[in-house]
Amino acid sequence: MSTSTKSKDVARPVPNPKRSLITRLHMGTGVVVGVILAAIVYYLLKKSLLTYTDGAADPLSPHDNNILLLGTMFTWSIGFMIGIGALIGPWRWLVGKDLTDEEILYMAGDGQGVKRYFKYCTDHKVVGIQYLVGVMTLLGVGGTMAMMIRTSLARPGAHFVTPTVYNSLVGLHGITMIIAMIIVATGPFGNYIMPIMIGAYDMAFPRLNALSWWVLFTAIPVLCSAWFLGGIPTGWTAYAPLSIQAGPGMNAFIATIIIFAVSTAVAGMNITTTVVAMRTKGMKWNRVPIFVIGSTISVALAIPAFPTFMVSMIMTGLDRTYNTGFFDANMGGSGWLYANLFWIMGHPEVYVILIPGVAALMEIAPVFVRKPLFSYNAAIMGFAGIAGLSILVWAHHMYIAGWAPSLNGAFMVTTEMISIPTGLLFLVLIGTLWRGKPWMKLPMLSIFAFIWDFLIGGITGIYLSDVPADGYLHGSMFVTAHFHFTLMGAALTGAIGGLAYWYPKMTGRMLNERAGYISFWFVQIGFNVLFFGMFMAGAEGQPRRVLDYAALYKNSNLISTIGAYSVGIGMIILLWAVIHSARHGKVAPMNPWGAKTLEWTVPYPVPLTNFDELPIITSDPYGYGKGK
Amino acid sequence: MANSSDHNAEVLTPTPGERLTHFFARRDVKRTTVLFFLWTALFVVLGLVFYPKWMPEIMSKEMKSAESIMIWFTVISAPIAGLVLAIATNSFMDMHRGDNPPEDGPAIRTHGPIVAVWTVGSLVFALVAIAWGLIEVNSQAVAAASDAKSAITVEVTGSQWLWTFNYPAQGIETHELNLPVGVPVIFDVKSADVNHSFWPVQLGVKVDANAQVTTVIHTTPTKVGVIEVKCAELCGLYHAYMETNGAVMSPSDFNAWVLAQGGHTA
Amino acid sequence: METATHNEVSGGKRLASAIAFLFLGVAVVATVGFTLHSVSKESQPKTYATVNGTVTVDGKELPHAFISQSVFPDDASARANNVNRTNTHPWPFYTDSHLVLPAHSVVTMTLKVYDGGEELNTNYFAKVVGTIDNMMTVDGQQVSSLPPTEVQHTFTLHGLPTSTQEPLFVNVPLPKVQDADMEKNGSHLVVFSFVTGGAGEYVWNCEYPCGDGTYAKFGAVMGQNGYMSGKVSVVNG
Ligand code: HEM
Ligand SMILES: [Cu+2]
Ligand SMILES: [Cu+2]
Ligand SMILES: [Cu+2]
Repeated sequence: MSTSTKSKDVARPVPNPKRSLITRLHMGTGVVVGVILAAIVYYLLKKSLLTYTDGAADPLSPHDNNILLLGTMFTWSIGFMIGIGALIGPWRWLVGKDLTDEEILYMAGDGQGVKRYFKYCTDHKVVGIQYLVGVMTLLGVGGTMAMMIRTSLARPGAHFVTPTVYNSLVGLHGITMIIAMIIVATGPFGNYIMPIMIGAYDMAFPRLNALSWWVLFTAIPVLCSAWFLGGIPTGWTAYAPLSIQAGPGMNAFIATIIIFAVSTAVAGMNITTTVVAMRTKGMKWNRVPIFVIGSTISVALAIPAFPTFMVSMIMTGLDRTYNTGFFDANMGGSGWLYANLFWIMGHPEVYVILIPGVAALMEIAPVFVRKPLFSYNAAIMGFAGIAGLSILVWAHHMYIAGWAPSLNGAFMVTTEMISIPTGLLFLVLIGTLWRGKPWMKLPMLSIFAFIWDFLIGGITGIYLSDVPADGYLHGSMFVTAHFHFTLMGAALTGAIGGLAYWYPKMTGRMLNERAGYISFWFVQIGFNVLFFGMFMAGAEGQPRRVLDYAALYKNSNLISTIGAYSVGIGMIILLWAVIHSARHGKVAPMNPWGAKTLEWTVPYPVPLTNFDELPIITSDPYGYGKGK
Repeated sequence: MANSSDHNAEVLTPTPGERLTHFFARRDVKRTTVLFFLWTALFVVLGLVFYPKWMPEIMSKEMKSAESIMIWFTVISAPIAGLVLAIATNSFMDMHRGDNPPEDGPAIRTHGPIVAVWTVGSLVFALVAIAWGLIEVNSQAVAAASDAKSAITVEVTGSQWLWTFNYPAQGIETHELNLPVGVPVIFDVKSADVNHSFWPVQLGVKVDANAQVTTVIHTTPTKVGVIEVKCAELCGLYHAYMETNGAVMSPSDFNAWVLAQGGHTA
Repeated sequence: METATHNEVSGGKRLASAIAFLFLGVAVVATVGFTLHSVSKESQPKTYATVNGTVTVDGKELPHAFISQSVFPDDASARANNVNRTNTHPWPFYTDSHLVLPAHSVVTMTLKVYDGGEELNTNYFAKVVGTIDNMMTVDGQQVSSLPPTEVQHTFTLHGLPTSTQEPLFVNVPLPKVQDADMEKNGSHLVVFSFVTGGAGEYVWNCEYPCGDGTYAKFGAVMGQNGYMSGKVSVVNG
């Protein structure tokens, strides 16, 4: 591969001296406007909903209360976006005076230092860092809840928290982690690294990029508010009619999903368009780095999936507010309708999570083994095959629902077929490893961990996809252990590998190696112990989502809890390393790993437009190796 | 020309047999082979030992079939897992440490036959799993149809957070699930409120309980003993406590129990 | 972060910072846990049964324990009907939610019940089950069941039957106070006895759909701890 870069200073226009509105808005004004608007709407809605007997206000009915809360939550989100200046661009466009060049440059955060991280900043590198901090926060919150769950399950008897708190812990841990994992790779690396990787000045739609992050940001306080509204009893799947029966906390869940779906739709369109339209000269499809391919397939898969979730949540919201009865069998609706909508989103979603993690590791493997990626085409076929099949398998989550027993055979066929493209992913990784000497750095270690964890997740998945075994295992701790092996063991391990790999480009410093190794072993050993215990509990017959269990399961649960604490310690150490190394780490050279993708050809800090002159690509980035 | 090239070929190109011997004489291949057998053996042992040890008593054909799938699919996947892990471990053992990258390895971009064999291999594997599952599903459906005449019916109702059982032919209603051994049973399952999932653990079957519709599941208890009935679908506050006992008993014990509950025997 | 200047620190300092951070992290998680735990606990003060004499059941002489509590309607109907209550809640409630009973004893429970009622979701719970002779007394009269439309809450005790503890199942439907009597602060007195086995942890909940206005009327109060549900600990000695 050859690239041509010239270092010449671009003449920067002087920022607009008469400070326009844009320069005065930031996260703080967003919060203020959001809160004020939400308070006004809360007050007005409440006034219009209250009824009185003998001068005293009656308590709001559950339905009216849901209207009040949902209205307030959405207003907060919209208000925040107004307050941070998201609508300035569209407004100007509507009135026919588009933003001036100075204003556009200002919005890209040019020369604003740390402040730009708190603004509606269109620079993809700023958005990438924002996502990274957001992901780490969500993982921290979700991880803390995981520790609470495991503490509570450490011994039988439900001594730690009440059932209400326990059920909320499980559900909110689940949804927090799912949200975090959906953005864990495509958020930070997809935004920061990917445009550089394909040789673009920025994303295709920089303003949408800022929009996707800040919309997601508004969902975080909404999700947290569930705790103060009595929690959620439904788990992350939010099955109806339980979700219709649930208390006010459920509104927070509904609002979060709807807001989040907007964010992923925007981000998905943006990433897909960028990759399709903005690759630099010479980067034909067969020269695109595999991480880019993987991320694009993942977000493209999310584009049809999330609207389904959004729709199911809107319907749940309508059932809860206006009693529409979509999911209420007593009114002619059906809970199976919800389950179908949910899993039509839910199964593609697990691959939305998995694929970028695997793709990151595939990007890493050739660099550290110093061999070309083994069978680039097999990798693409693997991703595409998984993505294609994954929209045809959703009802394997409903084998025992009673919905359509005669379709079980068909869904079993499609599900088992996924093992073929999945097998290709393994082939690509082990083919790359074969006859190479891996350079044992943290990113490389993640590949080995991934192979083990994903193998266990895959094999246990084969039983679960066979109907008779699922008849026993469905709804048990076995399922919980299985999907943690894939979501956490595979996808999160991949994302952590990616973080260790791209950290030097994103912070200008190397991630502390020793701390990285210590954390790695704490996490991986703990993780395997933790979910070995859960496999055991599940095979023994312990249902999932239970706060108390019979004495029979006490050993397996204790094993799990011990493993969980080890994971927790490991994650804290990793967090320390990430924070500490960003300030005090070894200064990273431009290309510390000797990689051949474009992001390693730009200096740190990466210039505003990444390249002074776009590079020209003549080969794929995997030209390692001697001979042949 | 033709002669000489034939002659050359004889000297330079090793026979497939020779190539294979060469291949297996390589150090990394030898080590990978040993690792392959070790990992495969480990997975076989894991499957054969852990699942039978962990799983509760098998009291029906369905439970047996669930357990066999878990055991035998582990065994069948063992060689594949063994191969993947052998290559990974072999590579791990060859690791390079230090601050500079290792020398470049061979520039192998792909290997058509291997990709083809791997793909066909996983296709065969998937087909075995599919065939196994379809045969089991089918034989359970056939058994259910032929047993239907001699079966007893139990109407199961899930209410937040208790199970109740109605035996229409016996005229009794209880909160514990007792069944005669060897007699096919049809569970008609419904819910009084939200979704539940009816799970008589030792019988290895499960079906969701929904409001307003009846879902059906069949089994035949094959062994006398205690059974646990649990709820496998999160149903709110006391989901964890939505459990009850039952037993599979001899037909005479069952009849005695029915009479004691104020019912009548057929 | 703008310009990467050398900011490296000594190994000792780095280790100290890592250890401090680890402790801080563990402390944060522990604080969250402690907070959740203490918030959770409050709602369940224990109520103990008192043992007084013995009683013979099925030829066995067992200690006789007594426990009593009341069941009150929600705030609004209490206010409307001048029901005197020891404390107030927006929802109907049992006065005690965590009951502690002696093992291997006869427990006689007395419930003073003040609420009105409607229909059950599942008629099974209109039967008296698991008490001595499957009977209870309502205002002095022996009954074995109620019409499913005449119930105000139920006391339904169950647990994890699969553990080492003995199964214990009791279901007692409580008769509703008729609308006309509600206005006069009417009530019923329900008494029943059951025999406990060995020590164990159980739960009780109400099977009458009193979480009004929500799906199957099992939301609101029914989804919260401590109003219509709670624990039962059977203890030795
Ligand atoms: C510190 C590591 C983690 C621990 C100790 C942990 C532990 C647990 C436990 C104990 C449960 C409840 C099990 C049950 O009763 O079903 C659970 C559920 C769940 N976890 Fe994790 N988990 C961890 C990380 C993750 C990660 C990284 C994800 C990524 C997606 C994740 C996703 C979920 C989901 C989706 C559920 C299901 C929630 C539900 O049932 O509604 N977890 N986890
Ligand atoms: Cu799925
Ligand atoms: Cu349940
Ligand atoms: Cu009640």
